[in-house]
Amino acid sequence: MSIHMPLNEHRAIEDFQLSAHDDHLEPGDIILDLENVSLAFGGVKAINDISFNIKKGEVRAIIGPNGAGKTSMLNVINGFYHPQQGTITYRGEKRTAMQSTEAAKQGISRTFQNIALFKGMSTLDNIMTGRITLQNKNLFLQALWHGPAAKEDIEHRLVVEKIIDFLEIQHIRKTPVGRLPYGLQKRVELGRALAAEPALLLLDEPMAGMNLEEKEDMSRFILDVNSQFGTTIALIEHDMGVVMDISDRVVVLDYGRKIGDGSPEEVSNNQAVIDAYLGVSHD
Amino acid sequence: MLYREAGDFKSTYAADQQTFPIKSERYLFWAFMAVAFFVVPFFINDYWEKSILVPLLVWTMVALGINILTGYCGQVSLGTGGFMAVGAFACYKLMTGFPDLNIVFVILLSGFVTAGVGVLFGLPSLRIKGFYLAVATLAAQFFLVWMFNKFPWFYNYSASGQITAPERTVFGIAVTGASSAPWATYLICLSFVFVFAWIARNLTRGRVGRGWMAMRDMDIAAEIMGVSPFNAKLSAFAVSSFYIGIAGALFFSVYLGAAEVTEAFGIEKSFTALFMVIIGGLGSILGSFLGAAFIILFPVLLKNIMVGYLGWPTDLASHFQIMIIGGMIIFFLIVEPHGLAQLWRLTKEKLRTWPFPY
Amino acid sequence: MSPEFLYFVETVLNGLMAGVMYSLVALGFVLIFKASGIFNFAQGVMALFAALTLVGLQTGQVPFSHLINAIFGTEIHHFGWTLPAFFAVLITLAIMVLFAYLFEAIVLKHLVNQEPIILFMATIGLAYFLEGFGDLMWGSDVKILDVGIPSGGSFWWEEVTRTWASEGSDYFGMYIDKLDVVAALVAVVLVIALTFFSKYTKMGRALRAVADDHQAAQSVGISLRTIWVLVWSISGFVALVAGIMWGAKSGVQFSLSLIALKALPVLILGGFTSIPGAIVGGLIIGVGEKLAELYVGPLVGGAIENWFAYVVALMFLLFRPQGLFGEKIIERV
Repeated sequence: MSIHMPLNEHRAIEDFQLSAHDDHLEPGDIILDLENVSLAFGGVKAINDISFNIKKGEVRAIIGPNGAGKTSMLNVINGFYHPQQGTITYRGEKRTAMQSTEAAKQGISRTFQNIALFKGMSTLDNIMTGRITLQNKNLFLQALWHGPAAKEDIEHRLVVEKIIDFLEIQHIRKTPVGRLPYGLQKRVELGRALAAEPALLLLDEPMAGMNLEEKEDMSRFILDVNSQFGTTIALIEHDMGVVMDISDRVVVLDYGRKIGDGSPEEVSNNQAVIDAYLGVSHD
Repeated sequence: MLYREAGDFKSTYAADQQTFPIKSERYLFWAFMAVAFFVVPFFINDYWEKSILVPLLVWTMVALGINILTGYCGQVSLGTGGFMAVGAFACYKLMTGFPDLNIVFVILLSGFVTAGVGVLFGLPSLRIKGFYLAVATLAAQFFLVWMFNKFPWFYNYSASGQITAPERTVFGIAVTGASSAPWATYLICLSFVFVFAWIARNLTRGRVGRGWMAMRDMDIAAEIMGVSPFNAKLSAFAVSSFYIGIAGALFFSVYLGAAEVTEAFGIEKSFTALFMVIIGGLGSILGSFLGAAFIILFPVLLKNIMVGYLGWPTDLASHFQIMIIGGMIIFFLIVEPHGLAQLWRLTKEKLRTWPFPY
Repeated sequence: MSPEFLYFVETVLNGLMAGVMYSLVALGFVLIFKASGIFNFAQGVMALFAALTLVGLQTGQVPFSHLINAIFGTEIHHFGWTLPAFFAVLITLAIMVLFAYLFEAIVLKHLVNQEPIILFMATIGLAYFLEGFGDLMWGSDVKILDVGIPSGGSFWWEEVTRTWASEGSDYFGMYIDKLDVVAALVAVVLVIALTFFSKYTKMGRALRAVADDHQAAQSVGISLRTIWVLVWSISGFVALVAGIMWGAKSGVQFSLSLIALKALPVLILGGFTSIPGAIVGGLIIGVGEKLAELYVGPLVGGAIENWFAYVVALMFLLFRPQGLFGEKIIERV
């Protein structure tokens, strides 16, 4: 089989769909519900009695000053930290202490604030690793390679190549990611998260350290993922311009508490949010 | 121009992913294999067998094993000597307990036994990492050597505490014991290495290998992505110990013939294995071959120069040897942490574009 | 008191002494680890090298005599003079400082940002290199080290403890080696001195800063190079002390370098970053080993000492990896 990509048509991949996890939810239904969640490390309360929800198919921004507990929030959602109090309902099922590998299998995927790519591997291998929850040929078949294991690998490579095309990173597919510039690394990380075909995609400051052009590119990719594949996205972001432009709803955290929740306009006019984080512009 | 790649495009993923994508390399490899299998056996003598080829092949097996564990999966192990002992003793007990069992099966079974032991001693890796894990594996090393020394059942109650390999044949030709011919021992080792290097390549190129490397590079991120640390780490221990066990069985039955556990499988073996993969290249199949070759051949070379040519006493040569090996470790860690395999890769890159610079 | 109880006390005391000897070696590790995050596998070999150099200087050996003889066909071995212990110790110390300086300049500088495991393997390389170098320089035969430390069993103590035994028993009294007592005192003094140095002096503070964060320390003007040379020199000094004690006890030979391996369980128990922890860990391992050998040994055929310490370390690693006194290790994403 061969793949021919017309050179100047990016993202015109009609036949490419990330299969959403079958969860009987319609767009607009609540896919993740956090109620009275609290998380403490020793004496420090990172998350203090926070409740909010995320609807399927929306782009939900989580904003707030540094140390507000945003990354901890993502870590809770994806099973890396377990809250001492509160309930988490994901896709209609109450979750207790879910392990992060289990969360991955349930369709939660994420990127990290300080890039967590596998530096010893190439772009292609990194994104292929994102497929790992979907691969299952056992050790003995892998040892023989030729036959079922090779066939499975090639099928998954097909999907990964489509993601590579979608993100326009064909030229660096064999490059060890450690050698890539920062902006491209962030894109590869997005690709790796997409490869798992997530129902809920968590992005931790995907545009940190990028210039205007790179931010525009990344915003387009995020919006495309959301519109083309229907993936629900929760993102932490500091650039208020980006938040206003691409998110459907925003939740604002400060010192581990929720101080705002609503549409971008509502939140930017919320006095508590202005005091804590946004500030007032002096014209 | 040395590498002719023009016109050699890949149109399938399978072709893109093959081990030797460049045609000339592929031909070279098969030619080399042909020589190794069909030409060398006719010319091999006792010296080449005992001092160079068989130790090289056995240690390549060890290097493949430890590279899988430490190079690909990032779990440092100082227990290699102990695991080789498990392979050797399993081999011995099977040989003496089931004299009719074919030696090839015995060796494979010894590998499986060692895999089981490896998983057991690998369990701590689920809680401890990196350098601390190295210490835990030291416990395995010292405990296993002590165990094989202390309980006479392991060496069939022999007075000397030594285990000796009885003669066994493959297709009617002796491969173990005193009457085995050099070409026979060489061929059986070569066959094992050929098959298992191929398997190692297969494992590392697909899902399992990627899981191992993900564990090595960023274990927390890997876990969050769905790579189960339990599966990844323990499979690495299992496969790695399997290889080291087979190597230990071959080391004892085919190479040494007789062994005493403390001197044959002490901690120096663990360090030697680690040195091979550091110098050869962590995370590289080729690196396992190159590292083993370096560590085995270098002392031979040194001895030939110093003792044979310069006439110096042998202990001087061994002091220099230890010093130079230590120095080379440091050198490689500073200059090329990815070892000889990376140097080889860079040389190839240069050769592909030669005489143009890029 | 019954003989059994007295045997128990004797075992415990000897265990404490053995533990102190381990601690001496462990101290060197803690220092380097605290300041640079490197686990110096070569610490044991440094002790061996220091001891070899000391004996070589004392007896007036010609360095590299074996090599020189092989190249030139000569037969020289000794200069013919001997050096009093005091001067030999000072010169050896100077050599260890020189070694620290060279090692920092040639190796450490280039490995600054590497992961701990790479640094650890570099020290394994150093251990091999130094061992070969030491053998080349001074020869690999076993040497006797004598700097005037009293040794042998204490007859006085034997007499005293004999009187403690209950009437009619044929107890011979406890055997405590005077050398071990001296070593214990030296170790205690060293620990106190090092703890004081670390907590209250300017250099000690700088050391702790470097241990916490290399870059931050540099940004307040602390020179990494100076600190590392200082730390490796102090470690060299500690290695020398350990080398003298161990060498006086059992001769200067290759097995001295294997002590590095024994120090690992000590560090795991005590915590890699704690100076007092090195002592406590050493004592626990020392006593534990001896008691295990006495009570559990006969059940499984003896020689438990070979692996007992490691299994204890393993237990700690599984349940309390930071040891008794070390800093807790937290992982963040």
